[in-house]
Amino acid sequence: MQVIDKNKIVPLLDRLSKQSEVFVPTVKGSESGFYSWNSLNGAKEIALEALNVYHSPKNVLFPQTERMYSIEQGKQVFSIPDTFQDEKSRIIFGIRACDAKAITCFDDVFLTHGYEDSFYATRRKNTIIIGNACYQPGANCFCSSMGINPVQPDADVVIHDAGTVYAWEAITVTGQQFTEQVQDLLEEKDLGLPQLKPFSTEFDYDGVVEKLQGMFDHEIWHELAEPCMNCGTCTYMCPSCHCFDIQVKIWGDKGYRFRCWDSCMYTEYTAEAGGGNPRPDSQDRFRNRFLHKLEFFTERYDYPLCTGCGRCISVCPNGINIIDIIKRIKEVDKIV
Amino acid sequence: MCSCNCEQPLVPSIVEVIDIVDETPDVRSFYVKCSEGGVPYSVQPGQCSMLSLPAGEGMFSCTWQEGNEYQHYAIKKVGLLTEELHSIEIGQKLGIRGPYGNGFPVEACKGKDMLFIAGGIGLAPLRSFIKYCFKHRDDYGKIDILYGSRSYADLCFKDELFNLWPQEKNTQVYVTIDNAEPEWDGHVGFVPSYLEELNPNPNGKIAVTCGPPIMIKFVLQSLEKMGYIDDQVITTLEMRMKCGIGKCGRCNVGSQYICVDGPVFTRTQLRQLPQEW
Repeated sequence: MQVIDKNKIVPLLDRLSKQSEVFVPTVKGSESGFYSWNSLNGAKEIALEALNVYHSPKNVLFPQTERMYSIEQGKQVFSIPDTFQDEKSRIIFGIRACDAKAITCFDDVFLTHGYEDSFYATRRKNTIIIGNACYQPGANCFCSSMGINPVQPDADVVIHDAGTVYAWEAITVTGQQFTEQVQDLLEEKDLGLPQLKPFSTEFDYDGVVEKLQGMFDHEIWHELAEPCMNCGTCTYMCPSCHCFDIQVKIWGDKGYRFRCWDSCMYTEYTAEAGGGNPRPDSQDRFRNRFLHKLEFFTERYDYPLCTGCGRCISVCPNGINIIDIIKRIKEVDKIV
Repeated sequence: MCSCNCEQPLVPSIVEVIDIVDETPDVRSFYVKCSEGGVPYSVQPGQCSMLSLPAGEGMFSCTWQEGNEYQHYAIKKVGLLTEELHSIEIGQKLGIRGPYGNGFPVEACKGKDMLFIAGGIGLAPLRSFIKYCFKHRDDYGKIDILYGSRSYADLCFKDELFNLWPQEKNTQVYVTIDNAEPEWDGHVGFVPSYLEELNPNPNGKIAVTCGPPIMIKFVLQSLEKMGYIDDQVITTLEMRMKCGIGKCGRCNVGSQYICVDGPVFTRTQLRQLPQEW
């Protein structure tokens, strides 16, 4: 088995970051997330042992705000001088299975079903993903219940923490080519991988989609949505929420159009210019969010838009818990 | 055709407004083509384009595409973007991207009698199908057009409604306005009740309807009452859109995105979706 000594991780990142922007899980005070290796103070800030960092790396491939193209305006004039395609080479190093699966969701949303989103496609094509297998699930983790194997992230290479070394497993062709470039830092070693510790929460997701298909008008949504104040925090923290807005910034005759993360929790999200709104009430929006994640996405892409990372549970100011919601849905035995 | 920005679907091409016609006090027709001539891409009846001024983008159903000559969009002033659109003059450059959506099933309807039912600006999308039928007149049977608006002034495409379309062979045009007016000697009342009064026989017919959501809902009920089965009824929906390509998330009804899976749905398809439109 190929392994990399833990002491060689810093030299590896130093080397990689000469050619690519390398994003690593980091704890900075009370904040944690994926930060560019070059912006860090070396080894003491890398947190490969952390499970889900507070911020998922979704902004690496899908920036919170992203310039799309420049515009110029004048009397009767409207032109688009430049389109911004971000071709920088990137590496996401140490992503967990839940966040890696969210990238698979993005790949399906942005690259399939008739249209390829050129902004995402360009960035994705130039990004290598190094997964970090999870053997000790956290308190709010439930990826296994959502059909995800925590020790086998969707990645080009997967590393497995085995004491003083990481086992190094190239998964894709890209991963094999990448491995060849760093071969001198790897060595062969016989070792056993750790045992996956049990999840504190496990449930059977089978049947939830079919159940929800008959529950759009169910009275349970009143009760489930009651604590929600539509703050949208869950949508921003969610690694797989992909909804966006397109807006413009203009100074005088020059400016640019950009897209930015948006949230289905907000009234304006679906408010129409003519005054109509198909989801006018808080409860309508709450229901749409959970149905999108648990039913509609599966109907379109064959798997749910929730990867069990548990962030929405940790950050909801009013204690809304998607695991409880799934359990409640499963308990509904009479369809009204 | 000049240039479709197919590689970068979110980046508009630029077209020029070659004519502007007032249809009603708040509906204006915009005729666009590329500055170097031709249309940016080909739009089928019922498909939409994302039009933009520097200040913003909005999705509009293409009211008609005349060959490679021009595209026509009839746009009602309802919000910030449309207000700005109503202030532009001939020669203005617009951003455009598309075509979006499935469009009307013009092929599947061949050989059928057609019943078009529209309210207000809802005639704008249907007009592309109506004109397509007239252009391929022998492919379709009898054509009935039922159209209503709040007032006479609010009726779109008056020349076609009162002069051109009634001259087409085997065609009837029925027009109604919501409230009586001194100069108006036509029908007065809402579209769904006029529809029930006319009671068109469903045999061999396809009904296509568009208008305010509340009108569509009542028209669907009326058609059902009159014996139209779900596969005979077609409507076109709209919701707020940003991307037009099924990525940005907001225009879903259930698992369907209006921008790519719609905007045209049969009643059969609508029944499988949540009532959230």
